[in-house]
Amino acid sequence: MTSSDPPVPSRPRSATIILPPEPPPPPAAARSAAPTTVKPPENRAAPAPAAPNLSAAPRPGDATVKLTIDGETVEVRKGTNVLEAAKLVGRDICHFCYHPGLSIAASCRQCLVEVEKNPKLQPSCQQVVGEGMVVHTESPAVLEARRALLEFTLKNHPIDCPICDKAGECTLQRHYMDHDHQLTRVDVPKIRKPKHKDIGREIILDAERCILCSRCIRFCEEIPGTGELTMTFRGDHEKLDIADGHRLDNAYSINVVDICPVGALTAKDFRFAVRAWELKATPTTCQGCATGCAIELHHKHEAAHRIVPRHDADVNGHWMCDEGRYTYKELDADARIRHARVDGQDVPLGHAIATVARRLRGRAKKVAAVFSGTATNEANRALADLAALLGAERFVVGRVPGKTDELLRDADKNANLRGAIAASGAAKHEGELGLELAGRAYEAVIFLDGTFELSDVVRSALGAITSVCLSDRVTPLAQACSIVLPATSWAETLGSVINRQGRLRVLQPAWRPEGDRRERADLIRDIALAMGERDLGTNRERARAVAEEFDNEELLALTASPVAARPTLLRFSHTRG
Amino acid sequence: MTIGVKKVSLQRTTRDQIFLPAILEGLLTTARHFFKNTMTKGMGDVDTIRYGEPGVDPKSYYPERFRGVHRLMFRDDGSVRCVACMCCSTVCPARCIYIVAEDREDNNEKGPATFVIDELKCVVCGLCVEACPCDAIRMDTRTHMTPTEAREDAVLRKVDLMSRGGPSVAVQGGLGADYRADAPAADPRFVGR
Repeated sequence: MTSSDPPVPSRPRSATIILPPEPPPPPAAARSAAPTTVKPPENRAAPAPAAPNLSAAPRPGDATVKLTIDGETVEVRKGTNVLEAAKLVGRDICHFCYHPGLSIAASCRQCLVEVEKNPKLQPSCQQVVGEGMVVHTESPAVLEARRALLEFTLKNHPIDCPICDKAGECTLQRHYMDHDHQLTRVDVPKIRKPKHKDIGREIILDAERCILCSRCIRFCEEIPGTGELTMTFRGDHEKLDIADGHRLDNAYSINVVDICPVGALTAKDFRFAVRAWELKATPTTCQGCATGCAIELHHKHEAAHRIVPRHDADVNGHWMCDEGRYTYKELDADARIRHARVDGQDVPLGHAIATVARRLRGRAKKVAAVFSGTATNEANRALADLAALLGAERFVVGRVPGKTDELLRDADKNANLRGAIAASGAAKHEGELGLELAGRAYEAVIFLDGTFELSDVVRSALGAITSVCLSDRVTPLAQACSIVLPATSWAETLGSVINRQGRLRVLQPAWRPEGDRRERADLIRDIALAMGERDLGTNRERARAVAEEFDNEELLALTASPVAARPTLLRFSHTRG
Repeated sequence: MTIGVKKVSLQRTTRDQIFLPAILEGLLTTARHFFKNTMTKGMGDVDTIRYGEPGVDPKSYYPERFRGVHRLMFRDDGSVRCVACMCCSTVCPARCIYIVAEDREDNNEKGPATFVIDELKCVVCGLCVEACPCDAIRMDTRTHMTPTEAREDAVLRKVDLMSRGGPSVAVQGGLGADYRADAPAADPRFVGR
């Protein structure tokens, strides 16, 4: 099986970023047949990803059980397990195979605890709480069992931490330092298993590092339901592998890298790119589709390196799709627009804003304001105010629809189409925008974002009129417009979007914007001020208003103090795995 | 509590004002050391390095743990021992080590595509050598970084660092064959087993 393994393809090292292929646009006939006014789509409840292990904290109406953990009596939800109950009293029982979003295997035996009146130690992940149960999580017998089991786990582990991508965020490293901390007593050779085996589009398997916890197998069976992974052989020679004739190619495959407690499964995209402890993590929201998964953006020196999901029980559970993980590629530093451009020349931002104000006020009579499903609520609301001042016609545009499934991916690839439509009021469809621009119906047009699919006719029409584009990166639209204002990307923006459930999702800035890049709402405020109009309000003020309207504490905290938006260094984050 | 005042007399004596006795005292000290270190057998108690004289290698006077300019060690097959774990660049207080990792596509799996040390930024602390788990980086060359005419000449690349290097037979990962003999005492938390 190992001799026929294909060689591991090396990751592309060039500076150019290869975006995943975009789905083909819908035919023009379908778009022109669309209704004249865009109606906000219905808010849909997200299909909840399976999360069999809820928190032990009782909700109102739950039956409860009282038990004693390390001398502390706690009341928990009936039917929960001891491991979850121990979290309520601040005891983090070390474990490998248990995951709150997956079924319980109790295969690693790392979470053994002592339950009084029970002759043997019990795995706390599998032990259901009982009334009057007395549990000891740090008795000498438990500590000894933990240490001994870690020694077993490490028996065939290659300890190649220097070359392992997981080093620094590895559960095995953490538990070894906390509970074992001794040299090996084994002097027979370790069992060798296949290293760097290409098992899928996104994943490389190192079977030697695997500690056989079966989290990834349970994930593939329970979440996407594809079941590509399996255990082969037995005993010492047991190893993780893909089923014959299959490859780990499901749309959620990179989640197995996150849930792997060691570095057995690594993502090709992140492989050897940067060490985990050098990264900073910013909690934010995925901009890949209307689902709005809670994510953490991992970045170093103003460059994003990967996206991992954050737990949000109401939206995405513990998971996210592979497509969403690649959205960080659009934050590519090479494609960023750092300075304003007027008629093909870089100018200071103040000049560009004065030019926009002059051209909008002076010549133009008929103005089109194009709202964007890829911009925040704050930006769309600012544009709505500007459109009211100018008496502009309103349109809403966004990305073309893409792939969808029952779990998390939504066909609507705009993070904020609902927010954009709500902010714009009665807006026209993007198909009409193309037709009317091609028919030279407007003398000026303002695009809130650079994502818009251009035809050649529209491109030439944009060159002839005053076309303003607020864009964070070089896109075909930004190149076609006569004035480009440097806006912040979603990694530099403080704001909010509204997802497919109608929930407010918060965007947190990960780093300060480079060059002249400013928030879209701030740019629009400056344009209005330069035209001699009233102060429309800064981005922060708008975010505060949105936070109060939706009663969102997270966004309110971010607007109140910049300290709340400070990213955490992964080096000091000890709660992963 | 009040602070007491001590009065110091700054009055110079006649002996001080002449200066001559003090000069003679100084000359006497100089002369004593001169004759002791040149005329007596075994050159007195001063270990003078006869730097630059023929047949004298100043490097042999350097202590064994002297930290000189860096070098990178090889494996048996001539490939660099570094596995680009970034321990040295992480621990470096001067942030003068720049490594880009690459996939080596052999059993060693990971290696440095580029390995650059800016010797102008280096503070010669030796922490990189201590942090290295693979015995790849060493500072035992016993040579100082020579002054350069251009700043970029002091930025050493992988080729420069390996040109000073040599083969290393240390066991990868650090544990030698007889590690048990050097094993530390049991962790006090688990005493009594």
